[in-house]
Order: sequence, then C-alpha cells, then structure tokens
Amino acid sequence: MRANSMVAMILAGGRGTRLFELTKKVAKPAVHFGGKYRIIDFPLSNCANSSISTVGVLTQYESVLLNSYVAKDHNWGLDTNDGGVFVLTPRERDQANFQVYLGTADAITQNIDFLDSVDPEYVLILSGDHIYKMNYDKMLTYHKEKKADATIAVLEVPLKEASRFGIMNCDAEDVIVEFEEKPKKPKSNLASMGIYIFSYQTLRKYLLQDLKNEKSNHDFGKDIIPAYLNDKKKLVAYRFKGYWKDVGTIDSLWEANMDLLNANSELDLGDATWKIYTEDVNSLPQYIGADAHVENSYVTQGSVVLGDVKNSVLGTNCTVEERAKVIDSVIMPGATVGEGAKVTRCIIADDVVVPAGAVLGSADSENILLVAKESE
Amino acid sequence: MRALGIINFEDDTANIEGLGEFRPVPAIAFLGRYRVIDFILSNMTNSGISNVHVYCKEKPRNLFDHLGDGTLYNINSKRGKLRILFGEKSFSSPVYNHDIANFILNMQYIEEDPNPYVIVAPSYFVYSLDFNPVMKAHIDSKADVTVLYKATTEAKSRFLGCDVLMLDKEKKVTEFAKNRGNYKSRNVSLEAYVMTKKLFIELVEKAAKTSSLYWFKDILAESVGTLDIRGYGVKGYVSCLNSLPEYYRTSMELRDRDESVSLVKPEWPIYTHTNDSCPTRYTETADVTDSLIANGCVIEGKVEGSVISRNVTIRKGAEVKDSIILPGAYIGEKAKLDHVIVDKYAIVHHVKKLEGTDEDPVYVKRRDRI
Repeated sequence: MRANSMVAMILAGGRGTRLFELTKKVAKPAVHFGGKYRIIDFPLSNCANSSISTVGVLTQYESVLLNSYVAKDHNWGLDTNDGGVFVLTPRERDQANFQVYLGTADAITQNIDFLDSVDPEYVLILSGDHIYKMNYDKMLTYHKEKKADATIAVLEVPLKEASRFGIMNCDAEDVIVEFEEKPKKPKSNLASMGIYIFSYQTLRKYLLQDLKNEKSNHDFGKDIIPAYLNDKKKLVAYRFKGYWKDVGTIDSLWEANMDLLNANSELDLGDATWKIYTEDVNSLPQYIGADAHVENSYVTQGSVVLGDVKNSVLGTNCTVEERAKVIDSVIMPGATVGEGAKVTRCIIADDVVVPAGAVLGSADSENILLVAKESE
Repeated sequence: MRALGIINFEDDTANIEGLGEFRPVPAIAFLGRYRVIDFILSNMTNSGISNVHVYCKEKPRNLFDHLGDGTLYNINSKRGKLRILFGEKSFSSPVYNHDIANFILNMQYIEEDPNPYVIVAPSYFVYSLDFNPVMKAHIDSKADVTVLYKATTEAKSRFLGCDVLMLDKEKKVTEFAKNRGNYKSRNVSLEAYVMTKKLFIELVEKAAKTSSLYWFKDILAESVGTLDIRGYGVKGYVSCLNSLPEYYRTSMELRDRDESVSLVKPEWPIYTHTNDSCPTRYTETADVTDSLIANGCVIEGKVEGSVISRNVTIRKGAEVKDSIILPGAYIGEKAKLDHVIVDKYAIVHHVKKLEGTDEDPVYVKRRDRI
C-alpha cells in the first residue's frame, strides 16, 4: 500500500471564542496544554503514530503563529520524503472569488486541487482542537472492512449530556441511520467526535455539489453527512474508547489539564508507545528550590519553583517565586507568579507576570479565573 | 567563523570510574538532560562554526545515536557538516589509539575542509564560551597557537592531572606543566587550541614522525621554544570531568540555579538530543527540595539536593539525598541513597542504605539490580 493512501486534513481555523483572551492572538489549536504541548500536537502526533505521512492543516483565524508552528514538520517526525505538513490557508485562485473558509466542508472544497495532487484513496478529516490519543490506522481498517462510504468516530457519552453533541443514531450493525445535531431529546448516546474517514472520490463529488448549493452552510455535520444519508450512502460509526476532550471553554481546558494529575487517567502522556511530540525547547531541567514544596503536580522543563505548588500544571519556563502559592491552577509557559502571591483555581496565560503579593482566584469559586494580559 | 571545529577525545588521565566503562566520556549523561559533549559542541555551533569533526576513541555508537547529523545542534544540513570520526582500523595496542593516530587516519577530511583555521577542544571541560573573541585575539596577537586557560585558585583540589600553563607577561606560554595539586593558583589549560589548519596538519605529522606514542598536547609542549603560543584566559565557570568525584562535584555545583544559568542562557542555548518525554509528575507524597529534575519522571518519594535525569521513577518511601540518578533508573520503595550515582536503567530495591561521600560517591552500575 502506498504511504499516501490516506491523507489527513486537520481543521484548525477556529478561534475558540469561549477561550477569551487565550485565543485573542492565536487560534485555538495553538493554545498551550499540559505544560509543554499545544492542542494541535495531539492530532499531529496521532497522525505520525498512525503512519500517516501527508497532513494538511487548514488555518484561518490568527494563523501566523500556528502556520509557522506546524510547518516545522520534523517536530512530529512528519518530514518524510513522500509526505509532510502542508499549511493550507484561504488563497486567491484562478476563476474563483477570494473567500475565507465558509465552513468545515468548504475548507476542504477550496483545497480539492491539493488533494487531487496527492491523489489519496481516503481522506481523514480531523479537528485541531481536541485532546485524545487515537490510532487512525485501525479506524481505516474498520472503514475498509465495513465497505463504508464514510466512517465517523463516535464516543459514548452520558445520555443526559448527549444534547450537547452531534448524535448518531445507528442500527444493530453500527450503520448510521440518522444524524441529529444537538438534539433536545437524544435517541442515542453516540456522539460524533468530528473525526471522519471518507473515500475520496465520493467525497469529492459531494463537496462539488455542496459548493453549488446556495442554501448550504458548507459544513460536514450540517450538510455533507445529511446529503450522504439522503442518498442512502453507507455511513458507519466507529466506536472509540478512551480519553477524548473538547477543550472549548476555560473550565474544560482547566479540567483536561487536571486530568493529567490523576495516575489512573486514561490520558497517559508517559506511554512510550504513543508519545505526543511537540516543539523542542533548550532550557535547563526544572529546578525545585530548597524551600519549595511540590505536591500532586505536573511540571515541565525550564520551570523554577521556589514556593509551593499543589494540584497544578506548570508550563515550560515558568517561575514560582519564594513564598508564592499555586493551588489547583494551570500556569502557561513563560508565566511568573511573584513572591508571596497566591493563585487558586486560575489559568495564568503565557508570559503573564502575577505581581508579588497578589491574590487571584479562590478555592470556592464556581468557575476558573483566566488571568491574561490586558488587551492591547 | 572560518574555522573547522575539532572535538578531540581526552587522554587516559581522565577516568570517570564506572560511568566511563559503558561509554566514552563525551556520551556520559550529565545534568539531567544533557550529555557531556553538548557543551563544547553548542559552544562551537553558537559561535558560528558549521563544520565540526568529533573524534571518537572507541564505542562510537553512543555518539552516533546522540549527535545524529548535527541538525539538533543548529548545524545547517546543507552548508554545514558534522562528522563523527574514529580510527577505522584495529590498533595493535590501546596505547597507539591516541588523537594523533586518529587525525592521521582521517587526514583527508581535515585537508579537504575549506576553513583556514582550526579550533581543537576536548569535550570533558564544561564551560560556556563564544569563540569569536578568541579567534579575534588569536589573529590580532599574530601568535602561532592560542591556548584557552582558566586561572584557578583551587588547583590543590581541582583540575588534578590537567595541563597547566606557565605564562610570561605577554601571556606567552613558556612551559606546559602538570597540575599535581601542589599549588593553589594555576593556569589550567582547557586543551583548547586555535591555529591555522596548515600549522595543525604540520604539528600532527611532526608528532607522528617523532613518536608513535605522542598525543597532540605532547607535540605542542615540545614546540614551546619554536612556536609563539599564547594563553587566552576564560572567565566564568569551568570544570573538568576527569574523574568520578569531579563529575559528582560539577553536577552538584551546577544544580545551583545561579551557576547553571551562567552556562545555559536563552541567547546561548546548550543543545541536546531530546526524547519527547512528558512533563514530570509529582504525586501527593512527593517531597522534593533543592534539586534539578528532568522531564518524564514520576516522583512519589523524598528527593533532596539531587540531580534526576529523565524517565526516572522514585517510589513512595524512597529517600534520595545528594545523589545523581541517570535516565530510566528506578528507585524502589524504602530505598535510601546518600551520595550515590545510579547509572542508566538500574533498579534499586535494596532497603539497606547506600552511602558515599563527596570524594567517594557510591556508583551503581548500568542496568544493575540491587
């Protein structure tokens, strides 16, 4: 089988407005996670670990940092001769009006020429803002076994939460019979993870049809999947078991970070067989000071802890000064918590300096406090 | 910079007991996430040297694994070149396997290098230095050879066995001597030399003709009367990893953040081969103070005044004090270590306390189980 028989296309254009200042200057996939990573490291590493060699990354919102970040494809071992990471932003084209990506499907449609040049048998559509580890090669095997036109990865969610997701109603063979976007009364608990495998030539036809449809939102969930179902195409659900989180809000981003503190969590980043790769930094190892105390925390390279850190995640090159207390918090790369400051249930954004003696957040707050730089 | 970097290997006076048996000194794990060679190699590439030869006496596998093609060290893969070179023949006796023999065997690669100068330096001296001012001083002085040295007042206890320089008022070297620990203040040679490539080749060939046991430093010492050899003093932290106690002492000194940040600066990074380890997890029972800790560890026990390399596990109830734990080692429950160096992938279950001293740290072998 040719290495490029399946190409991955990562949708990374979203702003993630519910992350507020964290996504003011960078797109959501570039937001830091777990001390040393960015969210997009997860789908990129999954691709590399699943032997996918060609990965398109579709960017749009505040993409300067993200474009240069993913272009360093050697960071994920994706710099092979027959593959690589291809940054695909909306562009001027011959005989078409310049247009931003109007929806998830339109982002792919605008890059049909790229896909044609790679000529894959299958296209894997991924989202650039989910935290999970998944072997897409197994999903492709399933797609072929089922002789499906499209395979959609699904996660079993508690039924009472199902109305927050796109829900797949399936028959006994896991063939999808109906798709409902955020149903008020969900009939099943199989939530779409936004991960699709399509046989390319069929998808290509549907995308071009969708392009002509003026009423369309040009979205996979709203338009392409319903069109497939309408035509009785074979759509199957691929049940994924394991950790998966959409870190779309400050609270859920905080929660996903806290999951790393749990030794029994399904998200084990220490598993040497499925590493998550990221950009290399050249700082010293972390230093824990003579009067420091670090408990139930996740700390990475370049950090200096002179105060107390409890139930927290510290990013690359953070500093916690003397007598400072960091509790139940996420400190993003380059941030400093000043001498004697106390930070509780907060996310401190990258490079923020919490002044000495400041008290931020509280143990009984309902929501997590985001501390970011003043908007310029 | 128009110089070929030549990273030489140390002679037999350097002997890091235990650690040195499994790999050459440049490949020894150091300071949590580095190998010894990372410092001199980063000094060279940060100075703009893009062609580097690394000479290896034996066991080249470790260095091939670690250095790769040099891209991790910021060497441009098209314009620059990192070569790992070793004597591709068997020496009839180990005493013939010295730097001169290795230079002679690889002379074509030295000759074909387009740079007019060479900077020759071993990896077992740890320091942070920009070679550009050194090269400028060398050219301005019109000297034949410039030798880096560190003026130390600790020569009675440190740099034992190292070369020392006798300098006149013009910093001209009048004699190379040995530090036998008899004097407090000495100018310790870092065995780092700047000269034209032409002179370097002449000296190598002369050494080979003079004696089949000569090292490069021997022919240089012999040339004091005929060549203009000048000293160039290096300021800042310098240490020589020529024994296990010195390896231990250097690690403990650099554990101190103030000392280590003088070596590893954002504008002067020390590159290394990374391992994509995840961050380190400290559990509820962790009790860590005054320690340098690499990524990928799980720490449940007590760690004090130590250097912990990546992917080390320290179980609940374990006590690690003033010790150095190398990558992948496992320290079991109730193990008690004081002044111990645990080599890679060793497993320590032993409940009885292991206790060494500053001068005589206990060494636990690679992949050992105790």
